[in-house]
Amino acid sequence: MSDLARTKQPGPTLNQRFFTLRRFCFLVAAIIIALLPLIFPSSYWRTNLIVCAINVLLAIGLDFVLGYTGQLNIGQSAFYGIGAYASTLLIIKLAVPFWVAFVLGVLISGMGGALLSLFAVRLRGHYLAIASLGFAVITYQILLNWISLTQGPLGIYAIAPAPPIALPWLPRIVFTNLTNLFYLIAGFALLVYFILDQLVRSPIGATLTAIREDDLSAASLGIDAPKWKAFAFAVSSAVAGAAGCFYASFVGTLVPDAFFITESFSMLAMVIVGGMGTLIGPVFGAILLTVLPEVLRGIGDLRLIVYGAAVTLVVLFMPGGLVQGARVIARRALRVTTKFEARP
Amino acid sequence: MLTVILQQGINGIVMGGLYVLVALGLTLIYGVLVQINFAHADIVTLGAFAAYFIAQLLSGNYFLGIAVAILVGGVLGWLINAAIFAPLREQRSELLPLIATIGVSIMLQNAMLLLFGPIPYAFNTPYSSRVIHIGSLFFTLQNLLIILVSTATIALLYAFMKFTFLGKALRAVSQDRDTAALMGINPNSLIMLTFIIASALAGMSGALLGPVLVLTPFAGTSVIVKAFAIVIIGGFGNVEGTIIAGLIVGLIESYTTQFLDPGWIDIAVFALLLIMLAVRPTGLIAEKRAENV
Repeated sequence: MSDLARTKQPGPTLNQRFFTLRRFCFLVAAIIIALLPLIFPSSYWRTNLIVCAINVLLAIGLDFVLGYTGQLNIGQSAFYGIGAYASTLLIIKLAVPFWVAFVLGVLISGMGGALLSLFAVRLRGHYLAIASLGFAVITYQILLNWISLTQGPLGIYAIAPAPPIALPWLPRIVFTNLTNLFYLIAGFALLVYFILDQLVRSPIGATLTAIREDDLSAASLGIDAPKWKAFAFAVSSAVAGAAGCFYASFVGTLVPDAFFITESFSMLAMVIVGGMGTLIGPVFGAILLTVLPEVLRGIGDLRLIVYGAAVTLVVLFMPGGLVQGARVIARRALRVTTKFEARP
Repeated sequence: MLTVILQQGINGIVMGGLYVLVALGLTLIYGVLVQINFAHADIVTLGAFAAYFIAQLLSGNYFLGIAVAILVGGVLGWLINAAIFAPLREQRSELLPLIATIGVSIMLQNAMLLLFGPIPYAFNTPYSSRVIHIGSLFFTLQNLLIILVSTATIALLYAFMKFTFLGKALRAVSQDRDTAALMGINPNSLIMLTFIIASALAGMSGALLGPVLVLTPFAGTSVIVKAFAIVIIGGFGNVEGTIIAGLIVGLIESYTTQFLDPGWIDIAVFALLLIMLAVRPTGLIAEKRAENV
């Protein structure tokens, strides 16, 4: 009886529920994004901010399939490249408007991901890893060798930036301006983060985690694993495709080497260093591993050696990534304060 | 036409034999540990550089170069197992050692870039300029050397695995580590032995590949990517399958170069890999392993 009574208690009103801690965090993140270009006025650092935003997109997209669904995808660069080339070629060859090409590019990458998931249905672990690596190698080689379409190693030059947006009662927003471009990409990344966050905390997220933990048990609970794997791959690669579209319009040139398999490895490193299986971890992993080589420019050629060493050391000593590190520090800090408070 | 086919067949077998040596290392490690070592590629490259510098410094003694490359490979294998795989074994993760070795690979590649520079080295052994003619076919002495050394090494390794006590122990560990441990086999020292053998093989194949490849700090990457394909096509952890798959990939490479375009090599190899995974994911010769398929 008492249980029933408890469930009938009125929940928080709509107004109260609206201001949750989580939403507050999103608000803070939006404010930080708004302030960042003001803190870093030089165009060098604003360029880096945009690279950070693109890498954050790539990292959270990869984490969705890797961390939450447990599919060892080490060929994410394929979808990054597909998105970049598909949208750019649509714009250049077929004169499709930018945002239509963006949506189509995202869809095409998503379909590529669904195609790769056909292999994930039958393969697990390292077999899937090598299959996805193969997918990335094939994509790279096609970009390199289909010269009539992609111009191969010569690359595509002078890609137009995203067209200006003219909102009523506001000045035109042009995306040749680094600050505006950063707001566009970072805002999109925040939106994707929000959607993925909602997804992983919904029953869908629970379904994906069930597949990650144990395929067989998930199947015995009636979960259609192939369908959900396809879903996870499609979402993850669509996000990478979106990052690719932004990359093309930001850099203005496309060469296949930007989507070589090593690009997949640096995305993996971002996810692992940040903390796989959390969404916030890869965000910080991406920022750290984008900024680290820039900060280390002073030591010249040594910087990539330090980068490699950093990745290895994090895996060895902090396998849960920055998130694990932060948790350990928070727990210690908490213990210290409680000890401190316990004293009279 | 027949001459071209035979000629490219020889070239394919030369490359295939070398790929087998690299892939066998990967497959041996996978057999005992079910882990992938991404830095294997850089052991190949370092082997090639070691052989190059020894051959240059000691007035062209290529065989001493090969010996040093084997040594360098073995030492690196020992280091990588001791520093990366052994500490991470308790985590029981498929991904962490992979990422850690990607980090090692980035370190090694950039260290080599710093030391040796990005310009390709011309690695000429005394044997790469001597050409043997048989009818209308020809091959260099270097090619003959590669075929002989790789065949001998593969045969030795095969005999070692089949007939010696250590080889049997190694196979026991790869079949079931816990039961092998119960039988008094120390899995840790055998895993270390596997790493040393596998990496010594990689170093040696680097020394043999050096004169054939474009020798830069990134040379190993293109080889290792094909070696991964070979390992999967042959069936992870399976020696016979790896040998067959290696030769197939070598032949695909030479015939694609001849009849299509060198740019299509990787596409052809990985298309075969993906078809293989779709049709027969256990590899050419099925191994009794349930964990991956």
